[in-house]
Amino acid sequence: MTGVNGRRRVVVTGQGVVSSIGTGVDSFWASMRRGACGIGPIRNFPLADLYITIASEVKDFDAREHCQSKPLLLADRYSQFAGAAAIEAMKQAGFDGPVKDGARAASIIGSGIGGFSTLEKAYEDLFIHKKKATHPLTLLRTIASSAAAHVSIEYGMKGPCFGTVSACSTAAHAIGLTYQMIRAGMVDLGVAGASEACITYGSLRAWQAMRVLSPDGCFPFAKRRNGTVLAEGAGILVLEELEHAKARGAKPLAELMGFGMTSDAADMVNPDIEGPTVAMQIALADAGLAPGNIDYINAHGTATTVNDINETRAIRRVFGDAAEKLSVSSTKSMHGHCLGAGGGVEAVACVKAIEEDYVPATVGFDEPGEGCDLDYTPNKGRSREVNYAMSNSFAFGGLNAVLVFGPPPA
Amino acid sequence: MDDVASKIIGILKKNMKNPPETISLDTKLSDLEIESLDLAVIVFDIEDTFGIQIPYNANEEVQDFATVGSVVERVRSLIADKEAAGAAA
Repeated sequence: MTGVNGRRRVVVTGQGVVSSIGTGVDSFWASMRRGACGIGPIRNFPLADLYITIASEVKDFDAREHCQSKPLLLADRYSQFAGAAAIEAMKQAGFDGPVKDGARAASIIGSGIGGFSTLEKAYEDLFIHKKKATHPLTLLRTIASSAAAHVSIEYGMKGPCFGTVSACSTAAHAIGLTYQMIRAGMVDLGVAGASEACITYGSLRAWQAMRVLSPDGCFPFAKRRNGTVLAEGAGILVLEELEHAKARGAKPLAELMGFGMTSDAADMVNPDIEGPTVAMQIALADAGLAPGNIDYINAHGTATTVNDINETRAIRRVFGDAAEKLSVSSTKSMHGHCLGAGGGVEAVACVKAIEEDYVPATVGFDEPGEGCDLDYTPNKGRSREVNYAMSNSFAFGGLNAVLVFGPPPA
Repeated sequence: MDDVASKIIGILKKNMKNPPETISLDTKLSDLEIESLDLAVIVFDIEDTFGIQIPYNANEEVQDFATVGSVVERVRSLIADKEAAGAAA
């Protein structure tokens, strides 16, 4: 440990979100407390040959409102989401422009796939319209490290800068790695999370072919669940070493206390029980907490048949008797499955849950699905004391990442 | 066994890790122990071969996919629908 007094502590001093139920944390959280659902008929493109015609789109996002800099205005929608969320988070943390000590700041912002709509448009131009050239920014807009780079340029962050890629665990990996870098003394400040904007015709066809999407809606842990629903958005945290935050007079919103990551090393699509179990155990041990300390789990809860049963079993294994007093919910029922950005958006929900002692609901819940026997906070959110919250992210390929948040240090 | 049935059985065998010697119309799909991702590929292959679209969802138990014979029946009816639509147009 490089800290003078033992372990360096990491706090959240800002957060930002772009989602189908709100752009900006206030609007997002108000929707969540209302139990709003952002899933609806796809509006962005014609639905020819699709039998899945719903998604959770970010409506009426105007980049000019959120991103003032020219490079961001020329970037892919995914980078603009990341930029908007990062700017919101940095503003809350007290940064209006470049940070003071850029070399000690990181920008770790991932994406499951990056600038997919840019690539799709370029291919359409080349292969269908037989254009002679692609747009010159095609490559820069597409690469999945562009959001991290854009944000580092906005704020003069000259330390570690890259994007993580781990499908639906991307954001949790980005946040976890940044937390470890701060704790290890490599940097004092980091912008971390992920962004996704891949609700395009081609992407939906590819998802449709996997046969895992619901034609009706996202109903995690419920009897009527029949698949997940694609969403877009971004979730970004500003993480900071506690003393660094205090010295700036920044107000910690929560503490990031634990991170666990494992790989099932088993199957590309079917999630395991062991991998998620161990990831949760590692995160708890890292946080120095017992299972009974956790009040709320923001579950991965995708509403696929297999995920929801296996995640329930894994939670039961980790929590034992303590599972009975746990509040669990899948906020994907409201904002949909934001893929790579999911863990970022859901981390914001965890921090708000701690801030306001309120557990957001799993909406659209008819009755518990077979083998789903936890308290999933059905349909209505609940006021209860939330000191410690866990956020689960499990991805295709069996890539598991778990974060544990606690109250801001007194 | 007609052309549709033998093509479908061919597609099943091609996409399975350990296909049994014989697959008949009575064979239950659950007995074939097809992995979920393989099943998605099989459905794709059938769609591609016959130029049809099968709205199959891996999250649901579907009666149409109980036996090889029921898959063949479903594909036949989808082909008929397609031809009827083509004739009408």
